[in-house]
Amino acid sequence: MKRTPREKLLNPAPGSKIAEARDFGVDLTQLAENLRYSPAERIKRNDAAANSMVKFEEAMRRAKARDKIKAR
Amino acid sequence: MIDLFEVARRFREAGVDFVIVGGIAIRSHGGNYITEDLDICYSRTRANLKRIAEVLLPLNPRPRDFPENLPYHFDWTTLQQGTNFTFVTSMGDIDLLGEVKGIGNYDDLVDQSISVDLEGYPTYILSIPALMVAKRAAGRPKDEAGLKVLAALKEAYDD
Repeated sequence: MKRTPREKLLNPAPGSKIAEARDFGVDLTQLAENLRYSPAERIKRNDAAANSMVKFEEAMRRAKARDKIKAR
Repeated sequence: MIDLFEVARRFREAGVDFVIVGGIAIRSHGGNYITEDLDICYSRTRANLKRIAEVLLPLNPRPRDFPENLPYHFDWTTLQQGTNFTFVTSMGDIDLLGEVKGIGNYDDLVDQSISVDLEGYPTYILSIPALMVAKRAAGRPKDEAGLKVLAALKEAYDD
């Protein structure tokens, strides 16, 4: 029976490129999850993740600035 | 606020001829890459440069390496004076590429792209095999993980 792209990613055949990616450290569950969405939804999810990263970086900068003030 | 989807939608709404390449293209195919910039390869016709400028102008584009304290003037003729541009805008970083190493210019890329529906706007996105060619041609160590992801997705999609 033909396997879907998600099934291939979640159960890679030995010696396959997918298995190679897994062994390299690629999180195949994330790829399989992304395939549940349309290309438009994938771009929107990227934007949301990028905005979260920016907020996290800003929070880290604020925390470091506070630590510097405390250390004085 | 990063809103690369909205930028791409506005480009299509304005009739800009472009192909999405880079991280957003990988993401569109299902990759887990998170990127803060939209890379597009664009047609360099005069009409297209004007359309691109119309979309970018309200987003206050500035070259990423341009000093913040200096005034910067942008209009469509700016785009005539170069080929590749890296802008910071109010909706995120936008890179305009006149050509992509290993593949060519906009016309070459269209032949190696797929059209996807961005909520009512058919939009060209560079195909997985072509993205792999471009990444190999770029020869950057940082692209190794991206190539593994693309190879895995290609195999997953292949019959």
